[in-house]
Amino acid sequence: MFPDFTNYLVLVEKIFGIVGSLIYLIFALVIVKQVNTMTRNVRDKFNGILIVFSYIHLVVAILLVFLAWIIL
Amino acid sequence: MDMVAPDDMVETKRELRNEIVENKVEPAMVKDINKTKKKKMVAKTDITGDLNDRIYGIVGHTKHSLSSLLVNPHVFDFEERAAEEKIILVARPHWFTNVSWIIISILLVLAPSLLGFIPIIDDIPARFKTIGVLVWYLITFAYAFENFLSWYFDVYIITDERVIDISFNNLLDKKFSEAKLSMIQDVTSRVSGLGQTMFNYGTVYIQTAAEVAEIQFEMIPNPEKIIKVLQLLRQEEERETLEGRVR
Repeated sequence: MFPDFTNYLVLVEKIFGIVGSLIYLIFALVIVKQVNTMTRNVRDKFNGILIVFSYIHLVVAILLVFLAWIIL
Repeated sequence: MDMVAPDDMVETKRELRNEIVENKVEPAMVKDINKTKKKKMVAKTDITGDLNDRIYGIVGHTKHSLSSLLVNPHVFDFEERAAEEKIILVARPHWFTNVSWIIISILLVLAPSLLGFIPIIDDIPARFKTIGVLVWYLITFAYAFENFLSWYFDVYIITDERVIDISFNNLLDKKFSEAKLSMIQDVTSRVSGLGQTMFNYGTVYIQTAAEVAEIQFEMIPNPEKIIKVLQLLRQEEERETLEGRVR
């Protein structure tokens, strides 16, 4: 009789997925911080748009964490 | 031509009032003093206007925020600017330096659709595909966004007082270098390679007597024009020193 490893594999996949997406979420937070620092130092016409983009990226990174939690 | 700033006029009037109160200056003399001060201010704005025209003559009128060269920008500003300091020119690397990351980004965007042709992909469960595609596009976006930020915020600034290099080398590193125009000793430029020669961009090396020995304006368009502008501003700075107009 061989033990059924399928459940363990699914669990490992889920843990990897969630940890990976959390690391990406930290990276997205760093980008938001970086864009805020840059726009504070150098002010130009497109600063507002760049800040919006960085926050959209952060929101999608948060969604990725939830998706990894639910789907995987 | 630039107009006399309202703040300067208010300040002049305040000075005159103080002189009258403190030194008991005769009203007739006040008019003379007023005229002399106005003449001085008009002369200064004439010089500034003339200088602007000469810089426009060298570099041209480029004011779009995504342009590599901005002359007398209205919107652009930076944190370390002094209150009276005037931004003459802002330079970013030439647009051609962005071509490589733009092409890579386009390929990265197209890659998931191309992967559909590989049979082994069909065996991967749908839930992994969904997460994988999302992660792929997030990383692609982050790659393109980071490269754009590097180009957009790495700026070289020439003001009426100094030259400045602001660069963000990676996510958490900011470098600010400056040198006063009067401290500039030697300016050289280098255009090398096929791309730089074809599109006329290169690096300007500014040797200074300041703490930062050299400031480099890297990959900027028309380096010869930047050198001319710096030469003009150094001459103006020397003239200001001789006339005692140094701030």
